[in-house]
Amino acid sequence: MAGLNILYVEDDARAARQVCELAAKTGDTVHWAATGSDGLKRAGVEPFDVIILDRMLPDLDGLTILARLRESGIGTPVLMLSALGRTTDRAEGLDGGADDYLAKPFEAEELLARLRALHRRASGSTHSAVILYGAFECHVKARTAFRANRHLALSPREFELFRYFMENAGEILTREMLLRDVWKMNFDPQTNVVDVNIGRLRRKLEEGFDSPALETIWGSGYRLLEGR
Amino acid sequence: MTQTSPLRHSIYSRIVLLAILSAASITFALWVLADATIARSNRLAQQRAVDVDLAGLVDIYASNGLPELVERIEDRAALEPRSGGSSHYLLTGRQGRHLAGDLTRWPRLRAELSEAGDIEIAPHHSAFARATQLGPQLRLLVAHETPALDALRRQVSLVFLAGGILAVAAVALAGWLAARRLATRIERLNIAFRNPDDRALDALTRQSGHEDEIGELTRHSANALARLRRLAAAHRETSDHVAHEIRTPLMHLDNRLVKTLAASPDPEMARGIASARDEIRAIIRMLESLLDIAASEARRGDRHGLAPVDLSALVCRLGELYADSAEETGHRLVVQIAPRVIVNGEEMALTRLVTNLLDNAFKFVPPGGTITLALSPGPRLIVRDDGPGVPKGQREHIFEKFARAGHSPHGDGGGAGLGLALCRAIAQRHHLEITLVDTPRGACFAVTPETKP
Repeated sequence: MAGLNILYVEDDARAARQVCELAAKTGDTVHWAATGSDGLKRAGVEPFDVIILDRMLPDLDGLTILARLRESGIGTPVLMLSALGRTTDRAEGLDGGADDYLAKPFEAEELLARLRALHRRASGSTHSAVILYGAFECHVKARTAFRANRHLALSPREFELFRYFMENAGEILTREMLLRDVWKMNFDPQTNVVDVNIGRLRRKLEEGFDSPALETIWGSGYRLLEGR
Repeated sequence: MTQTSPLRHSIYSRIVLLAILSAASITFALWVLADATIARSNRLAQQRAVDVDLAGLVDIYASNGLPELVERIEDRAALEPRSGGSSHYLLTGRQGRHLAGDLTRWPRLRAELSEAGDIEIAPHHSAFARATQLGPQLRLLVAHETPALDALRRQVSLVFLAGGILAVAAVALAGWLAARRLATRIERLNIAFRNPDDRALDALTRQSGHEDEIGELTRHSANALARLRRLAAAHRETSDHVAHEIRTPLMHLDNRLVKTLAASPDPEMARGIASARDEIRAIIRMLESLLDIAASEARRGDRHGLAPVDLSALVCRLGELYADSAEETGHRLVVQIAPRVIVNGEEMALTRLVTNLLDNAFKFVPPGGTITLALSPGPRLIVRDDGPGVPKGQREHIFEKFARAGHSPHGDGGGAGLGLALCRAIAQRHHLEITLVDTPRGACFAVTPETKP
């Protein structure tokens, strides 16, 4: 997948530099706008894949910028950033039309993983009836899964998890993303339910095959492999 | 929100009703009094007229003798009065012989005592009469007919009836207008208290200019609500900043550990670093739990931000998640969920509540044990297990912050002891209460609607 073209509206130069550095490593391009009005102007003239919007800017509130963007017909996916990570702020941001919300401080890897998921969702590839990736097939409507043409017997919940991996194939999915999108939790349960569920899915995907299907990435993330 | 019509159930309708009743009864009392006065003064005038008439005739007899008296009586009896109240006379001599006057029969009045009283002149025709003894055998009776007062009294009654209706209408209208004005002002206060948003507070400030008792109450309320909001905002800001300031260095520390880990191939060191990272995450979790408890407690009773949540679907989802986990850990999870149990709430918070209860059960019940997750309408959510249960001495305190329930078989004490405190805070935020139900075995937590306000 080609690098993302990202607009980052942020008044904190240090945070902006960190994100730019990481993006350079992953092959993404970050355009940094230090003020809300500058960001709004650039979003109007240049097409971006995703926009990162800080909630608190000196000139314009992040929610206001978002509202103006949507008013002028710009549907680019927006990820809202805020030092206030609490549930109510999150809800306000999402109600305001943001596609995702991330609390500061964040891990740069988490931010980029989410941006990729956002972009993928927005570019429509997730809505197709059949998702193909490597040796894997996911028939969304029929709710069936195959690896190398062999049927995988997944429970409904396991299928949801598998589909989420397929929709974000090849990308790192953090624990937080899985919790939020598959189980609708904005917190980490104390017991290891998530690890158990991933473990079960991994076993079903790998049973009878030699190559691994799910990779555990350092820093609490997972990635679906091609499985050939 | 319950928007009762301003006059139906309020104190104003009672006040207006009371005013109307008072106006009506005062008018009625005045009418009764006026009617009685008319009747009495009329009677007195009649008596006086009879006495004056009689005294005049007595004078005539005294100065001019009997023939003159007879003549005068005939004159007066013949006189046709202008309006009602015609006079009647009777003069009798020896053995009751008729001497003069239009009356023929002596009534039951004793002349020697100068008796007075009502006599019947013709059927249904009464008069007031006085008799007197002029000489040893000479008796005189003067009677004046009772004037027909019905017309006058009917007129007076009509006047009072009209006046009374007008008074009642005026009182009702004035009372209704005043009550509506008061009700509007009081309702604005109630609106502001029910949902103290900017608009309600603005409305309060606008109407607080009145220099009366409600104006003062409004000013106090507006100030108190504004102060409350400032406090809530300050509380939120402070806790957010505390969270931010603590999380940032912890995240940096974690990042450094990750880098060190990446650079060091030594497995011993890797294990140490991994456990250090676990502890950092535990601290962050504890911090977030504390903030969530504070946020839930601060918003207790505040219905703002609550939306209908399908609790059945939510509990079902968690049941599936933990069922897989239970298979791994050797527990039996029994799930009994009634369909379509809907509550007003925050989905994330309710998910947290159920998750914490399940986490708690899985932590304390040894492998082989059974955990039951049940939801019935009400809502009534039960998480029951057949594990060691909660020791008697700790039952009172398990919902308090930093209390640890039971003895964890894993030896880590089960986190920071905030799980159940957070459950209680979330339950209370949703007007629910969480209780530890007495059971012969194991622990049984029930989440049910609040019984006391």
